[in-house]
This record gives sequence, structure tokens and C-alpha cells, in this order.
Amino acid sequence: MSYPAERHELAAASHNPPEKTAQADPDLADIARVLAGDVQAFEGIVRRWQGPLINMAWRYCRDRGRAEELAQEAFLRAWRGLAQWRRESSFSTWLFALAANVFRSDLRRFPAVDLPLEAAPEPSAAALQHHALAAQLNAESVRRAVLALPRRYREPVVLFYFHEMDVAAAARTMRLPEGTVKARLSRARALLRKRFPHLEAQHEEMEFGALNTGKEA
Amino acid sequence: MNRTQTNQTGKMQSELDPTAIDRILASEEELVPTSGFLASVMERVREEATAPPPIPFPWKRAIPGITLLTGTLGWGAFALVRHGLPAASELSLTPPHLTAAFDQSLEQAAWVALALGVSLFSWLLSKRLAGRSGLL
Repeated sequence: MSYPAERHELAAASHNPPEKTAQADPDLADIARVLAGDVQAFEGIVRRWQGPLINMAWRYCRDRGRAEELAQEAFLRAWRGLAQWRRESSFSTWLFALAANVFRSDLRRFPAVDLPLEAAPEPSAAALQHHALAAQLNAESVRRAVLALPRRYREPVVLFYFHEMDVAAAARTMRLPEGTVKARLSRARALLRKRFPHLEAQHEEMEFGALNTGKEA
Repeated sequence: MNRTQTNQTGKMQSELDPTAIDRILASEEELVPTSGFLASVMERVREEATAPPPIPFPWKRAIPGITLLTGTLGWGAFALVRHGLPAASELSLTPPHLTAAFDQSLEQAAWVALALGVSLFSWLLSKRLAGRSGLL
């Protein structure tokens, strides 16, 4: 999920002097107020970033309640460490990296899925009359299988799709070189393709079926 | 919001051709935070903000103890090297017999180890008690 706020922030930071940036960027303005002792100003930051952080946590654990708990913990860490933000990167990059750290260490202690990739359920064959349902079930199987990937491959996949397939953003969040992320991503995708060999064919078949149904209608 | 329609062009790397798996993983329903989430985060933030700052480590009081401990450790190591090593080398030459010097240094080392163990135990106990009482 590469949010517009992140892009605006980056653009603002690169083109404006600091005082103008603080005025234009609501995050920077709120951070300045928080650091000056105004606790209430943190609400603005939570309001703007609660959606992204909850959705990011959801992709790590696929459990709504836990996602909110993890996001809350990430916000608390951000609150505690706000003074340590060096402004070398954008606020969103710092926040996502911090949140990824929180999610990673929490899931290391209590894994979301503790079955190997081989044991992840196989998508069911689509019955012609239930294409939509079958597609939903298949999608859910694949998403759950991501959580069953080995740890080093799981996170690049989670963050790559969270950042709308932006390798650079995923690499920034993981604080890893882009090349490493690309390599891990490639390996993860190979593992998933190996696990779900019929998915591509099935997907094309379903798309073709849906197209024909549309034409007939 | 279904994100199947989200912009995939431009960002997709050339070596990563979109597949069925890509389409599935890129199309994720977006969760909307529950109504109480913001309030709950802010409540915890306020709690943290109003909580008294943690008690700093009492360095002034701890320095004599640390100095004493370092000195004891240093002395123990020195005694061990001075008496233990010659005795040990003697021991290696005459394996079946323990010399009196080695016996003595071994006894001293054991006392030092015991003292260090007791110190460590009392330190851990005091830390645990302080933690339970909320001092740390």
C-alpha cells in the first residue's frame, strides 16, 4: 500500500525548506507539537496512519483482532521513539519499518500459522456454477499459504503486495537492499507456484468462463 | 475497496511477470479500523504520558559495589593465574598427584566463585523484588 501521503511527504521534503515542509505536511506539524509536549497532537498521526498499519498487520497475521493489537503496539512504539526519528527518511518509511519490526518480533513469539507450506490446503477445483465462490476460496488458500512460507521469504511477499508491488518501498520497510528483497521475492513466488501448480491454468479457465458468460448474457 | 484495480503498471519489475498468484495477493480487501481503535490507542498514549518517568539507575550508589566486584574479580583472576597455572602445569607433568599449591589455589578459587555466586544471587533477588514492587 504505497499511500499518497507517503509520496506527498517525500515530494514535500525534497522541494521545500524545513519550515515550509512542517506547515505543508500534517505529520511533521503533529510531530513537532508532540515533541513540544502536546500529547493530543499524536491523535492526528494515529488517525492518518491507523488504516495502513492495521492493514499491514492484517497481512502479517490474517487475524483482525490481533492486527489491531499489533497496530496499537506499533503506535505506542512510535510514540515512545518519536524523538529518535532522524528525518533521514520520510515519516511513513520510519513508521512502516518500526511497525514491521513490531509485527515481526511478535509473530516470532506467537506465529500466525504454524504449518509448513506443504500442508497448506490446496485450492479446490472450481465448479462451473460457483466460479465466484471458488475464486474466493482459492484466493484465501493462497493468502494463507503466504503465512506458511519460510520466515525469510514471507515478509518480502507480505510487504511487496502491501506496497502495491513496489520493491523499493518493501526494501525500505525491511531495511534491506532491493536486490536481496527481489531475490527473496522471486524464491517465494517460485515456492508458491510449486505449491499451487494448477492455479494459473484454473485462473485462466475461470477468466475465460466468466468472459463467455458475459458474452452470452 | 477492492484493490484488484489498483495501479500495478509502472511499479511492476520486469523480471516479476504478473501471475495468478500476483493477482490474488495484490487484490486484498482493505480493513477499516474499528470505531474504538483511535480512542484506545490515545488512551494508552495518555497513560504513558502521565506515568512517572522510570527511576534512573543509581550509579552513585552502585559505583562502590561495582568497583569492589571488579577488584575481587581481578584479584581472583590474578590469584588463579599466579597459583593455579604453575600448579596445573606441574599437574600435567605428574598427572596422578595433586600438589599442595594447586589444592590451596583451587580452594581459594572455589571461595571466590562461591562469593561471586552469592553476590549474583542477592543482586538478582533484589532486582526481582524491586521489579515486583514497581520500583523498576
